[in-house]
Amino acid sequence: MARGGKHEDDYEDEYEEEDDEPVADYDDDAAEDEDYDVHGKGGSGGGRKRGRSSFIADDAEEDEDEEEEDDEDEDYRGGGGGGGRAKRKRNNKASASDFFDEEAAVDSDEEEEEEEGEDDFIVDGGPDLQEEEHVGRVRNTRMLPPHHEDHEDLEAMAQRIHERYGKQRMPEYDEETTDVEQQALLPSVRDPKLWMVKCLIGRERETAVCLMQKYIDKGSELQIRSAIALDHLKNYIYVEADKEAHVREACKGLRNIYGQKITLVPIREMTDVLSVESKAIDLARDTWVRMKIGTYKGDLAKVVDVDNVRQRVTVKLIPRVDLQALADKLEGKEVVKKKAFIPPPRFMNVDEARELHIRVENKKDSYGERYDAIGGMMFKDGFLYKIVSIKSISAQNINPTFDELDKFRKPGDGGDGDVASLSTLFANRKKGHFMKGDAVIVVKGDLKNLKGWVEKVDEDNVHIKPELKDLPKTLAFNEKELCKYFEPGNHVKVVSGAQEGATGMVVKVDQHVLILISDTTKEHIRVFADDVVESSEVTTGITKIGDYELRDLVELDNSNFGVIIRVESEAVQVLKGVPDRPEVVLVKLREIKRKIDRKMSVQDKLKNTVSSKDVVRIVEGPCRGKQGPVEHIYRRILFIFDRHHLEHAGFICAKAQSCVVVGGSRSSGDRNGDAYSKLSAFRTPPPIPDSPKRFPRGGRGFDSGGRHRGGRGGHDGLSGTTVKVRQGPYKGYRGRVIEVKGAMVRVELESQMKVVTGKFFNLGIHFSCVRFCSTWSLTWLFAVDRNHISDNVAVTPYRDTTRYGMGSETPMHPSRTPLHPYMTPMRDPGATPIHDGMRTPMRDRAWNPYTPMSPPRDNWEDGNPGSWGASPQYQPGSPPSRPYEAPTPGAGWASTPGGNYSEAGTPRDNSAYANAPSPYLPSTPGGQPMTPNSASYLPGTPGGQPMTPGTGGLDMMSPVLGGDNEGPWFIPDILVNVHRGGEESIGVIKEILQDGSCRVALGPSGNGETLTVLPTEMEAVVPRKSDKIKIMGGALRGATGKLIGVDGTDGIVKVDDTLDVKILDLVILAKLAQP
Amino acid sequence: MFFHIVLERNMQLHPRYFGRNLRDNLVAKLMKDVEGTCSGRHGFVVAVTGIENVGKGLIRDGTGFVTFPVKYQCVVFRPFKGEILEAVVTMVNKMGFFAEAGPVQIFVSNHLIPDDMEFQSGDMPNYTTSDGSVKIQKDSEVRLKIIGTRVDATEIFCIGTIKDDFLGVINDPVAI
Repeated sequence: MARGGKHEDDYEDEYEEEDDEPVADYDDDAAEDEDYDVHGKGGSGGGRKRGRSSFIADDAEEDEDEEEEDDEDEDYRGGGGGGGRAKRKRNNKASASDFFDEEAAVDSDEEEEEEEGEDDFIVDGGPDLQEEEHVGRVRNTRMLPPHHEDHEDLEAMAQRIHERYGKQRMPEYDEETTDVEQQALLPSVRDPKLWMVKCLIGRERETAVCLMQKYIDKGSELQIRSAIALDHLKNYIYVEADKEAHVREACKGLRNIYGQKITLVPIREMTDVLSVESKAIDLARDTWVRMKIGTYKGDLAKVVDVDNVRQRVTVKLIPRVDLQALADKLEGKEVVKKKAFIPPPRFMNVDEARELHIRVENKKDSYGERYDAIGGMMFKDGFLYKIVSIKSISAQNINPTFDELDKFRKPGDGGDGDVASLSTLFANRKKGHFMKGDAVIVVKGDLKNLKGWVEKVDEDNVHIKPELKDLPKTLAFNEKELCKYFEPGNHVKVVSGAQEGATGMVVKVDQHVLILISDTTKEHIRVFADDVVESSEVTTGITKIGDYELRDLVELDNSNFGVIIRVESEAVQVLKGVPDRPEVVLVKLREIKRKIDRKMSVQDKLKNTVSSKDVVRIVEGPCRGKQGPVEHIYRRILFIFDRHHLEHAGFICAKAQSCVVVGGSRSSGDRNGDAYSKLSAFRTPPPIPDSPKRFPRGGRGFDSGGRHRGGRGGHDGLSGTTVKVRQGPYKGYRGRVIEVKGAMVRVELESQMKVVTGKFFNLGIHFSCVRFCSTWSLTWLFAVDRNHISDNVAVTPYRDTTRYGMGSETPMHPSRTPLHPYMTPMRDPGATPIHDGMRTPMRDRAWNPYTPMSPPRDNWEDGNPGSWGASPQYQPGSPPSRPYEAPTPGAGWASTPGGNYSEAGTPRDNSAYANAPSPYLPSTPGGQPMTPNSASYLPGTPGGQPMTPGTGGLDMMSPVLGGDNEGPWFIPDILVNVHRGGEESIGVIKEILQDGSCRVALGPSGNGETLTVLPTEMEAVVPRKSDKIKIMGGALRGATGKLIGVDGTDGIVKVDDTLDVKILDLVILAKLAQP
Repeated sequence: MFFHIVLERNMQLHPRYFGRNLRDNLVAKLMKDVEGTCSGRHGFVVAVTGIENVGKGLIRDGTGFVTFPVKYQCVVFRPFKGEILEAVVTMVNKMGFFAEAGPVQIFVSNHLIPDDMEFQSGDMPNYTTSDGSVKIQKDSEVRLKIIGTRVDATEIFCIGTIKDDFLGVINDPVAI
């Protein structure tokens, strides 16, 4: 820095010559007392001087000091002449005293400013004093250079300079400077400006020195204030001056400066020029850093050694060395330089290198460690040890990922295990890392492993309340000595890092690494303890990236496609649409071409139509047996979502050809009105279990017991069902019943997103699962139709209701578990409530599996007759008083969850189970539900008598309907086979008794003796073609007709009364006794 | 842990149920509504064992529904941290196994399975000790300790451990 003020110098010299002693006195005072006031005292006591002159004096002193520092010899000895010795003497004093002197001087002027007024006052009041002080004043006046008075502006300038520099120095000594004071020091418009001047590279310092020399030589002609060369700034120097012209003038003729390119530094940035970045990179050993330049740019490295003096660091890297290229190079072959190619990081294998005839030297470094030196590179344990400049690495915001850290473990030997070294941890920390209440553990120092809770955080210090009682209430720790602490079982949320946003439960704590079980994926996540906070929230983490969301089907490049199964911070995991083997790729956002959002349908193995949301079962390939709703269809590939499949977020990719639809197709449900399509659907049910009604006819005997309760659900049974509007403006629309009020229903239309209110008979039940329910439901649908066709006004709302209620009884009740009451949604996460399952076959799977939970047992008293049947006191149909209070939970259906529950098995894993045909024997899925003698089904349960009007169900149900609704109950005038005592005989039912048994007259025409037979002891005679029949169940119950044809299990019946031709299940048809 | 407690609930009953069976209907509806549900506070309602008291019904304006405050006794099941449970393994995978104790699903991570047990993949994935004497597979019964619970509105999910004394398989379906 070159700095000048010739005038001052001149005058100063004089002053120094003549007035050396007083100044020295000040110095002494200051040095002795180290108290600024000393000077003040001295000033007030020793010299009443005019303020102005004193400023000059101070100024002079200051400048002098500077020059002393800078170039004392030159200036002082040369210019000082006789005064040189004195000055030396002064300089010989403790250098600290200089500072004090200066400080004192600065201080004094302030005081003197104050004193000025006083002075006047005193001067006025006490002339004597003035006399006394004369000496001092004389000194001051005397020391002024003769020409000084002529330069008023010079004085002003001096004052300005003083104000500026005098104060600016202060912070150096005075540590208690406040921010406000600091602010006041900032350059303003009135201050000289800073100009940036271009110079030769590498000659910055030289240029600055040249300018300084020039200033010395030329003196005041040069109107610049200062010149600055910064070490870190190449090609430029800064010059301080008031005007650009001054800078140009000063730079003229300097060979290092060319172009005369001068730019002004904005006032705001002026401070930045000289402020030192408080980087203070605390590079210690084992710190993780990243390389900033070169082949290893961006690579993670570990600091092995730091040489602060030479600003060099030894780092450990995974080498990116192309051995072949190296070998070629060493052999002197010409190496084709492929600039773009950077070898992948790979551990150095010395033997491999030797094989390529690369010379591997064994060397020892300064610490005596052995290295393998290959062509100037040092290797050890496969790592490359590289000495780099501190500038070429960055130590901030490293955030090493687990993958990277894992790589740093020496392959094979398991590494040092210190993946999560503390340095890693601290590097990742953000401000405000600890919060009050956090559980922490001390990781460094004497109190290592002490646990506690954060009480207070201030700056770097964290006050914690230790766990141990004997310790003081709070202890203060440096932030770096603490680490968050979690225990297995804590529920946490990841707040930073790659897994940000995920939540889970801690299952393992390994030093600073936690292993979590993600709530959603049930996968293990490894995170740093520092990255998580305790939370009860449950989230999936991020589910969206750009336009793509989790579970979207996307097209990748080269016509690959797949479904997004996981979203990471910058990439997504995609399960590719390759059937039979799960192929997961990690793709960047830009590699995704587009989202495939097409609704398609394909044919399954059995040529059934599959569209999305249909439940399919995979029957071929490695995923055979899995089943779930189809999420996406693309190019004959299905993406099936199976909740129980834990990998790939539950997605399975399969060919449409290797799947079959289970249950009904959602989309094809529209065709329900079309009998033909329905029938055709029924024709192809191979993998789909038959409805119970397809089982031997004998079954119906005991069906009656359970079946009867169907009506009980009443209106409630209807809500949630899908219906179709048959009349009115919304004719043809499908929707879900939301609420039933008397004869009115409120239906949420699927297509219109709105709720309409309608009357019952305007709705037709729309069962997309009819296929599945088989003929029985079909009949029942027909019944609905008939109501409509025949315009049967007599149909009461209840009639329909009960029918709906019956819906809850559809044979394909999935029979998920006998212990229904225990079924909670949890068993089937995300599944629809159980009652849905009861109401419609397979509904829980086939239909909206994502509907929110609702009370799980909406209908269980209907749907779970098996269990109910066992506890007669719960029999809803039995009128006798039932002590509800009495039964213990164990009595009726189960004992404890831990007990029977397990026996109930896990239906979802047991496919046979899930499709078990018997709704009424859920507890014995493999059992023989149709065996008439099955004791468990004794319909003899009191109140189980379905047929008898008046006793069935709730009183609100009309008896007729009760019958109407039920399956094939026995009915008078039909032929039955009676098995009794091992004999089998044919008979005709004459009468149905109250308790469900029948009076049967033996003989084909009922001529024989009359017996009372239990329903379990008989079965209806299957009619043959052209037999007269009686319909035992359904809407046409009681009607007679003629069986005009048999189609599989369906009978084509011509009803006598109406002459309608109906297709009915053979099961509900019985041969009419010929009178 | 099971508790036999008294809970209260306001039951809304449709007018059509009014009659001599009103009480029965009320109770049936209560059971229907309550059993099998789960609340964070009480856990799973396993069974309604009795009615303490049915308060006076209040007819709601407009709807005709009647609200009855019903106090009922019920058995609830709520898992606690530190509780030892016996559970049936429902699924085994490389990350651990899932077990069920009644309605509660418990996950035992492989970190919480003794170190000497290794995962064996295959048709019947299982965890087996090196000497093959102990095997955890589907349908095994295990005794485990709950170390963490997550209670949602409708389910309770637990993390369990068998890495402790006296925990582990208590009966092996294969052996039977």
